[in-house]
Amino acid sequence: MELVGTPKKTVTARAAGLVACTRCARAWPLETEVCGRCGAKLISRDVNSLQRVWALWLVGLMCYVPANLYPMLRTQQLFSVDESTIIGGAVELAQHGAFGIATIILVASVVIPLGKFWAIAFLALSVREKGGYASRHRLLMYEVVEYIGRWSMIDIFVVAILSALVQLQGLASITPGPAAFFFALSVIFTMLSAQSFDPRMIWDAQADTDEASGNG
Amino acid sequence: MVETPPKVEIEKTRKRGFSAIALVWIIPVLALFVAFGVAWQSYNARGPVIVVTFTDGSGIAAGETKLKYRDIEVGEVEEVGFSEGLGEVEVHIRLKKDIAEYVDESSVFWIIQPEVTAQGISGLSTVLSGVYIEGSWDNEIGTASTRFKGSDVAPLIKPGDSGLQIAFRTTTNGSLTDNAPIMFRGIQVGQVGRAQIARSGAFAITEGLIYEEHRHLVNSSTRFWETSGFTVSIGPTGADIDFSSLATLVGGGITFDTFVSGGDDARDGEVFEVFEDKETARNSLFTTSEVDPLKLSIIFDENVSGLTVDAPVELSGFRIGSVESLSGIVDFNQFGDSRVRLNVIISIQPARLGLPGDVSAAAALTLIQDRVVNGLRARLASASLLTGGLKVELVEVEDAPLARLTQTGLDLPIMPTTKSETSDAAATVEGVFTRINNLPIEELLNSAINVMNSAETLMSNGDLQKVPGDVSTLLSDISNIVTSEDVKNIPVALNATLTRVEGLVAELERQRIAEVLGKTLTSASEAADAVTSSVAGVPELVAEIQTVAAKAATLEFDVLIKELTSLTSSAEALVSSPETAQLPVALAGALDQLNATLKELREGGAVQNVNQTLASARTAADSIAVSARDLPQVITRLNGLFAQAGRTIEGFNQGDELSRSAQSALRDIQQAAKALEKLARTIERNPNSLLLGR
Repeated sequence: MELVGTPKKTVTARAAGLVACTRCARAWPLETEVCGRCGAKLISRDVNSLQRVWALWLVGLMCYVPANLYPMLRTQQLFSVDESTIIGGAVELAQHGAFGIATIILVASVVIPLGKFWAIAFLALSVREKGGYASRHRLLMYEVVEYIGRWSMIDIFVVAILSALVQLQGLASITPGPAAFFFALSVIFTMLSAQSFDPRMIWDAQADTDEASGNG
Repeated sequence: MVETPPKVEIEKTRKRGFSAIALVWIIPVLALFVAFGVAWQSYNARGPVIVVTFTDGSGIAAGETKLKYRDIEVGEVEEVGFSEGLGEVEVHIRLKKDIAEYVDESSVFWIIQPEVTAQGISGLSTVLSGVYIEGSWDNEIGTASTRFKGSDVAPLIKPGDSGLQIAFRTTTNGSLTDNAPIMFRGIQVGQVGRAQIARSGAFAITEGLIYEEHRHLVNSSTRFWETSGFTVSIGPTGADIDFSSLATLVGGGITFDTFVSGGDDARDGEVFEVFEDKETARNSLFTTSEVDPLKLSIIFDENVSGLTVDAPVELSGFRIGSVESLSGIVDFNQFGDSRVRLNVIISIQPARLGLPGDVSAAAALTLIQDRVVNGLRARLASASLLTGGLKVELVEVEDAPLARLTQTGLDLPIMPTTKSETSDAAATVEGVFTRINNLPIEELLNSAINVMNSAETLMSNGDLQKVPGDVSTLLSDISNIVTSEDVKNIPVALNATLTRVEGLVAELERQRIAEVLGKTLTSASEAADAVTSSVAGVPELVAEIQTVAAKAATLEFDVLIKELTSLTSSAEALVSSPETAQLPVALAGALDQLNATLKELREGGAVQNVNQTLASARTAADSIAVSARDLPQVITRLNGLFAQAGRTIEGFNQGDELSRSAQSALRDIQQAAKALEKLARTIERNPNSLLLGR
């Protein structure tokens, strides 16, 4: 029908008087409060979603500050102890000519987390603003953020593996620095924040826009 | 077809009013709370920053170099910079809060870095870990301070250290080595700090620390000396190399001993002298020089060749100091001419003056000032006639012109002088030589040569050589007389008597009359003594004969014939006199009588007659004694005779005839004398043989 191609108007479940169970995807009438199939609470729009997103986002951002200030790795070689922060380590690597690795570290530890913060904040803000960015792109952004969230732990994996492997008593040993802990926290809270976001709100904004355009 | 979902029961959820909003915001609030809490705690736990300045920041790096106290980290360097004008390195150290209050103004800081010294290697751990700053402070909280002056080397005495803190001062020839160990019986009991030259330049001084546990080893009469280097001594037992330890051999060290008992406990801050060796240290106990010497200047007009630096300065012959320096001085204003005079600076040791009370240079100066008014003057005197060396003497001159110890400005006080003794001594020596020169040695030698010539002429005279032959003939005659039968029989008779006495004694013993026997034996022993004493004259006689003979052999022959003749005849008369001849006979008779008595006694054998027998025995013994007593008389006479003969022989001359009889008489006498001598020797050797007959 007309839904194929560029949709002029999207009919949301809410507009159709339905509510979908977010757990088992069963659609229920709007007034239904608990999913009759799986018992999950039914809610058409989570009005507290944005608050949770912002709260967790804030915690994630707070954790991200010490994660960059404190040393990530504590490398002990024979007689010298080297403590490097994330950015410091990347810069050091770049100075030694390892631009590839430096780039990976920078991307994984700085660009992506910062990008996530920005993306979540953008999404959370954009649902308030009527119109603006295309809803489909915002949905895509949300999905990317949620997908990439689990890979943000790659830094922590590296630290954990190095700490476990390089433990040659006296000669060399690597221990995680305080930044690893904060970085992990930051990632966790960012992921929680992203998950708290109710993507259905994107469509509300779309609908509002449509209505506005329709009315106008 | 469409299945309508079955009706389900809908449960109403509870309305949550504010809850959903509040709950989620707890997390960031909590996070903030934790963050601020941690921030506040870490800020609160930070100690203060102190600034320590060093002359150079060898290896100090911000964020890496630690501050340690007793080898435990108590702070970290936060910043390294320069003081104004780039004169010093400023190190900002963040202290740990718990110890910060103890870091007061008495604290000291120094850099620990690897160091290789004669005493060993220290700070080796810092080779790999990098230098660190060591701090030391006491355990009391004092006035707070945030700026400190650091030292490049570890201080010897750290705040709060216990131990005896003393100072060392070198003697004139001594030396000190930085950081040398103080050894006692081979064990390190302390350490010397960094030596410094005293402001006056006269000695080096350093602080020293005796560890607390060895504190009692040091008291005020303890003496210290150097043990650096080694001594080699080569003697009859071989070569001997001596050094106390390898460390002191290379790096020097000092040791000490308390040579005398007593002495007060040493106090902190006491100053000890370090002597060059043990001997000096020991000697110093009695010649302490713990006060500065008094220096005086003496200006001599005279020639002072022979006076050297270190020459003695004596007061009444007692050394009280030495000459410090010699120099010329020209001062027209002071002396009225431009002659070069000699300025001698002497140093007097006040301790040697025996000052009562305060022993100091000032007190010594006062004393000498006082004595100078009374006539104390300096003069030069000969220290040695052989080397011509001079010394300075302080003597009291009577009726000396008035003089004072003058001191102008900062110059040394000038001691007035008096006429030196050196010229007198030289004159005396010269006089002695002159007198030796004037002796008439040549005349003396000439006379001596003449005398010897005369003697030679006399000796080579042929007559002189014939004399000994005649003398020996004379002596053989004398011997004939002596070897007469009577004389020879004496020992035999004595022997027989004694055999009998022995038998009698044995018998008496049997009859247990020992007490009586005792008396008898005493008498017998008296007799023996008499014989012995009479015999004692015999060697004299023999000696006399020998003298005569010797004289005869060496005689100078001046003619005195008449005397000789008369003497010879008198000798003959003596020898042939009945008394002489009867003497042996009398002796023999006495012995015979004794023999007979004893024989009777034995034959009688009656116990009743024992008393009588013993009396007789005593009588017999007495008579032996009496006759023996006569011997000395005979011998004396013989001696006299020989003395006369000797004198006669002195006048003997070949040209005149010597009476044959005199010759033979002399020979007989000689033989008699020999026999007597033999007898006497036998008795002398074994007086008991007279009694026991063996």
